[in-house]
Amino acid sequence: MNTSAKISTNPSVLKRALSNPLAKSGFIIILVVFILAMLAPWIAPYDPDDINVKAILLEPSAQHWMGTDGLGRDVLSRMLYGGRISLLVGLVAVGISTAIGILLGALAGYYRGWVDTLIMRLVDVMLSIPSFFLILAVIAFLTPSIYNVMIVIGLTSWMGVTRLVRAEFLSLSSREFVQAARALGAKDARLIFTHLLPNSLTPIIVSSVLGVAGAVLLESGLSFLGLGVQAPQASWGNILSDGKNYIQFAWWLSLFPGLAILMTVLGYNLLGEGLRDALDPRSGSRK
Amino acid sequence: MKIPAFLNITKLERNAKAYICCFFVAVGLSACGDSTKSLTSEELNKLNKAYPTEDGGTMISAMIGEPSSLIYMIAGEAPSSAISANIFNTLLKYNKDLDLTGELVENWKISNDQKTITFKLKPNLKWADGKPLTTADVLWTWKAVTDDKNGSPYASDYQLVKSAEAPDPLTFRVTYNEPFAPAMDSWAGLQILPKHLLEGQDLHTTSFTHKPVGSSFYKLDSWTAGQNIQLSRNSTSVLGPANIDKLVSRIIPDNSAQFLELMADNIDSMGLDPTQFSRIVPARPKLNQTLNLYKELGSGYTYLGFNLKRKPFDEVRVRKAINYAIDKQEIIDGVYLGLGINIASPYKPGTRWSNPDLKNYAYDPEKAKALLKEAGFVINNDGILVRDGKPLSFEILTNQNKEREKSAVLIQRRLKAIGIQVTIRPLEWASFISNFIKKGDFDVVILGWGLGLDPDQFNIWHSSEQGGDKFNFIGYSNPKVDRLLVQGRMELNPDKRQAIYHAFAKELLEDSPIVYLSAGYGLSAIHKRVKGIVDPIPPAGVGYESEKWFIPSPLRRNEIVN
Repeated sequence: MNTSAKISTNPSVLKRALSNPLAKSGFIIILVVFILAMLAPWIAPYDPDDINVKAILLEPSAQHWMGTDGLGRDVLSRMLYGGRISLLVGLVAVGISTAIGILLGALAGYYRGWVDTLIMRLVDVMLSIPSFFLILAVIAFLTPSIYNVMIVIGLTSWMGVTRLVRAEFLSLSSREFVQAARALGAKDARLIFTHLLPNSLTPIIVSSVLGVAGAVLLESGLSFLGLGVQAPQASWGNILSDGKNYIQFAWWLSLFPGLAILMTVLGYNLLGEGLRDALDPRSGSRK
Repeated sequence: MKIPAFLNITKLERNAKAYICCFFVAVGLSACGDSTKSLTSEELNKLNKAYPTEDGGTMISAMIGEPSSLIYMIAGEAPSSAISANIFNTLLKYNKDLDLTGELVENWKISNDQKTITFKLKPNLKWADGKPLTTADVLWTWKAVTDDKNGSPYASDYQLVKSAEAPDPLTFRVTYNEPFAPAMDSWAGLQILPKHLLEGQDLHTTSFTHKPVGSSFYKLDSWTAGQNIQLSRNSTSVLGPANIDKLVSRIIPDNSAQFLELMADNIDSMGLDPTQFSRIVPARPKLNQTLNLYKELGSGYTYLGFNLKRKPFDEVRVRKAINYAIDKQEIIDGVYLGLGINIASPYKPGTRWSNPDLKNYAYDPEKAKALLKEAGFVINNDGILVRDGKPLSFEILTNQNKEREKSAVLIQRRLKAIGIQVTIRPLEWASFISNFIKKGDFDVVILGWGLGLDPDQFNIWHSSEQGGDKFNFIGYSNPKVDRLLVQGRMELNPDKRQAIYHAFAKELLEDSPIVYLSAGYGLSAIHKRVKGIVDPIPPAGVGYESEKWFIPSPLRRNEIVN
């Protein structure tokens, strides 16, 4: 029973992933972004919502490292606090979508038959709707808020995980160690949670890490359109949206949030790819 | 344009000629230049020297929205009036100093009992298709606008006419039940339509809405949906020909995109926002040298309005407290970059209708707190005002207008400081009106009113005009105001009328159904190649007599207009 090769808990995995320089830089970027966002209340030089109509649209300077916005708020402080929101939305949304994806994928892959058919047709239906427009439509009915954004992104992006988990379950359940466990009388729950799921974690982890990048982008997109995080709360998307109006004049309002989104998404993508290479025994790039 | 409020749909738009200039637009060859470089002194001389008036040329302007129809009296929207005012004439018009004078009419007489007006048309008027323009057209237009089946948003003023007749081709006579002071203003707003082309047709679906035939300076050349509307000179214009040959209005739905086109010299004129006006243009030498900037006080204002049908906004103490807690000067300085005026009457500052003795509520958070305490609110442990276990909190709705959203953020912060929790919800215009305003489903809104030249505001404040489809959607009802509004409509002596509207403004301020935030300036830029603009800006606005504007041939673009 203990022979179930727990690839994902192998301590050398992270090390192996980080031996790839790209994955390493991705990891460092995310770490830095996280630390900055976590420490926002201590390191932000100003209150992010502190309006100062006498200091509107100031260029970056010693007082305001990233300048000020159209209401005289310090952009650096808003970026730091906005980072918390953007990262939080990304993580929670992916948490929701991964949980749903694992549940449905496991059910489909383990029980097969009509359960599988039903779930996979649902996946097909969901995939056939352009998700950004689905999200726009749903948010338009609800009140735009950070919670609704997290929930809606989560509820509309679980299909990929479902497919991955189902595929893993289908292939794993015919393996010897699963057959052996079943022969020993293991119940469904035990088979799923102790044998199948731990061995399916590789693609789930990879897809979640990549999913966070997608969710951060989606949140920025929604906030940019005014349907995401609402004023006066800052998020990278709505700082960028404000900056759009001044783009020929106040470059700092578009550049910094744009860079932050770019770096974060890049970081997650690099880390995700690196993890895939490190975790996937079939991957050719593994030395 | 900037202040395009709900209610731009009022009379201002009908008398919109003054504002037309801000909407003209067009397409030219791209001449992308580096706007940070200065012009050479030679170029500068060429641009600034005096030129004799001449015909021809194309003026290109930008407009935000596309008209749904060019029958403005039915469509009732700002983009429609911007175009149709160049195509159609009205009976009367306002001159430079905003006094009424004849446009299609030579003269008019008001009977001794003040109830009958007789208009005498100028002789030999013609439509652009050559057919004669007579009082039969005027009578038909009046009938069309007052016909309920056409659903004109302006019907109510014209429906007060008891009888209208056209005894001969040059005489048009209207009779009211009782004297109606805003009558003359209403006849300066009615765009006369050709009976011979429209009789028997559905005014909403007829092809005339997209292929109008008028009598004024310009006629429609082409209309490419989503791109541009091109007008060319009407040689048979009843008021003589205009100078500029073609007016092209480019439809560019985003102000920032319009500004990029202005910097690239692809358009000649557009409306600016305060940042563009006072920060961006002055910082760029080339823009500064090639553009004339115009700043004129509009007759509109931005306000915060309470839903008076909802608690606790039905209590005057609560309304006053919120009014005291809002710093208007901060909004004017921070949002409008100083390009606004703190007002206390619902009229354009400096006009006779605006009551100079009134002062808006000063920013006084202590007074606000005291009033709320008096009303029974106490601060709880979280620093929030509570009465009977219910927190004082509400949602501010506004349309997606940057200035209004910013104002909302400033207000939110000021109210939080005294313990009121506010959330902000910017909404898309159409859904804002149909899902919230018309259903009366809102706590507080930030909107604007565009007003006409006549002081009558019966349809905004009279208790009979309550309801989502009407303009008194905040549900204001005050017998004293009702009485004054009715008196003001029937009083024809300007001095007595002035006293009535001063009393009305005083009562309104005291009652605080809305918080006046700012009367903003209309800001626009016009390229210096356009000459003949009346300077300094007359009371009628920068667009006054735009038919006399001209573009000297050395300054024209290489005109390959598509």
